[in-house]
Amino acid sequence: MALLEVSDLKTQFTTRDGVVRAVDGVSFALEEGHTLAIVGESGSGKSVTALSIMRLIPDPPGKIAAGKVVLRGESVLDMSDADVRAMRGDRIAMIFQDPMTSLNPVFRVGFQIGEALRIHKGMSRKEADARAVEMLDLVGIPNAPHRAKDYPHQFSGGMRQRAMIAMALACDPDILIADEPTTALDVTIQAQILELMIELQQRKGTAIIMITHDLGVVADMADDVMVMYAGKQVEYGSADAVFYSPQHPYTWGLLDSLPRHDIDEKGTLLPIEGQPPSLIDVPPGCAFHPRCPYAQAVCRETCPELREIEPGHMAACHFAGTDSLVRGRVATAEGEVR
Amino acid sequence: MGDLLRVEGLVKYFSTDQGLIASRLSKKVHAVDGISFTVRSGETLGLVGESGCGKSTTGRCLIRLLEPTAGTIDFDGIDVRALKGRALQEFRRDVQFIFQDPYASLNPRMTIGEIVTEPLAVHRLGTPQERRARAKELLDVVGLNPEHINRYPHEFSGGQRQRIGIARSLALKPRLVICDEPVSALDVSIQAQVINLLDDLQDQFGLTYVFIAHDLSVVRHISDRVAVMYLGKIVEVGGWQGLYDEPHHPYTQSLLSAVPVPDPAKQRTRERIILQGDVPSPIDPPNGCRFHTRCPIAQDICHHQEPELRQVAPDHEAACHFAKPFPIELAAVAPGTEAADAV
Repeated sequence: MALLEVSDLKTQFTTRDGVVRAVDGVSFALEEGHTLAIVGESGSGKSVTALSIMRLIPDPPGKIAAGKVVLRGESVLDMSDADVRAMRGDRIAMIFQDPMTSLNPVFRVGFQIGEALRIHKGMSRKEADARAVEMLDLVGIPNAPHRAKDYPHQFSGGMRQRAMIAMALACDPDILIADEPTTALDVTIQAQILELMIELQQRKGTAIIMITHDLGVVADMADDVMVMYAGKQVEYGSADAVFYSPQHPYTWGLLDSLPRHDIDEKGTLLPIEGQPPSLIDVPPGCAFHPRCPYAQAVCRETCPELREIEPGHMAACHFAGTDSLVRGRVATAEGEVR
Repeated sequence: MGDLLRVEGLVKYFSTDQGLIASRLSKKVHAVDGISFTVRSGETLGLVGESGCGKSTTGRCLIRLLEPTAGTIDFDGIDVRALKGRALQEFRRDVQFIFQDPYASLNPRMTIGEIVTEPLAVHRLGTPQERRARAKELLDVVGLNPEHINRYPHEFSGGQRQRIGIARSLALKPRLVICDEPVSALDVSIQAQVINLLDDLQDQFGLTYVFIAHDLSVVRHISDRVAVMYLGKIVEVGGWQGLYDEPHHPYTQSLLSAVPVPDPAKQRTRERIILQGDVPSPIDPPNGCRFHTRCPIAQDICHHQEPELRQVAPDHEAACHFAKPFPIELAAVAPGTEAADAV
């Protein structure tokens, strides 16, 4: 049994303009100690997926309309509020993109790290403080006993993110959900933080759900990858499978529109034409069809199911794995090749 | 091709205190601290570096949105710092700016037609009818529907707004366009559209770009020459190929090694240089080489003597006492040990 199983998760928001299907039928399994990356552009539903797992969807206007989230055999969506509070921060912890807005400016960093320990582990103030110093030391903050008494504004951006990681890992959670944890950081600091996460994962065996738009970060961290588009999962598989034999035209588009600095020649960037759809007005059929150079009549009418193309590698495209879909070659109705 | 822009010893300090009597006592932020570079006509110079390295301040000084503290800026024979009144306005017709934030840089109360032709109105060029015709032409050039001329910015997505900003910058047929992080707020698929558009426009109108960005891959893609900045200094500058294939400065090397590439197998085997610590404060930058506090090969000399930019290969300069081509075996060299052998 997997550590976390999510099946057919649907999260919706009711707005004045209509119902937004932010997450529309997402399924995956996370194994102990593994890293799953959820990739997608803004508005693809990756953060809402994470918030749904944590039951952090504000209701109203949001609602988890369907699906299952099972943590070690226990249904998260059926838990009482008290049980959910006991789970958050203890069994599943989360770190966010902007560490400044997630730290409380009026409390000392050490006190904030100790908060989860006092609540979940029933530690005294003194025990929690001592453990907070240990955690700061573990995440590589120099002179930890002293820095634990600092306020967040006295930390640099990279140190704040380290403090957030210390806070998230203080209770030894089974799962760490990291929502764009390095997007606000410079690359040299990003490298430090990713390295730290990998090292702590190896030491503590924490499973990680990494939410990001950066395919480089995905390649660096992920065992498995889930690609999302307009609230739906379009591709899912091991990192090697998704990077080396991607099956969905959207995934191709993402990979081909990325400038690379590790390849000798300057390739031509092949952008995905058009704009991502509004979630209130998702195109009928496959949501990607208006931007897909391979779209056929069926794509405009029927929404493709996620299906297995190779063992363990799934894609939601009518033509994935068939001869009519060859990367970089578009067969039009007139039989022409672009 | 001749040099269109020549910058010598550009310095920009900001006072940390706004008060009346504090100016002499207060500390200065050394945002840009003596940089020199040239931009050739028709090329793209990439300015790359991490936050606080002074790349945006440099861009703003070039068009006098900020007044430089010292240095000379020569634009096609014109001394930019001496310009006043009418002459400054004339200069600004030739040099335009594209901003990072497509939301904050467009006035929400103006139609996109008004936005795109505002530069013409400011410079009193053309009749209203002519401006309107020009607006449609410009929208078409940047790939927007000219019929949308009466719409407002909120009706457009981020990528489309950035196209509007680009159209505005082209209205006066400039020769030099400063692009300050023009694609960093955009999603990957849209980012590629805008990069390709900038490339096409350069070919079409013979534009010269100064392209400011923190994303090394984007800068490599669009630039002919690249300058890497660290704490207000240029540490390495050269043609894109030489700089990316054979970076000579340890900062450039660690920067390049820190960017993860979308290739899991490569990521697993790549040697990475993880720099320790944070960038020091530009209020009180380190003595000697500014990078010495984080440099894996720093020696005594780096603590007290500042390295000058020197030629390390044709069209390739680096400011490091120990500059040598990749791979410096950085991992093997602990700070302050036998790096001298590596010279």
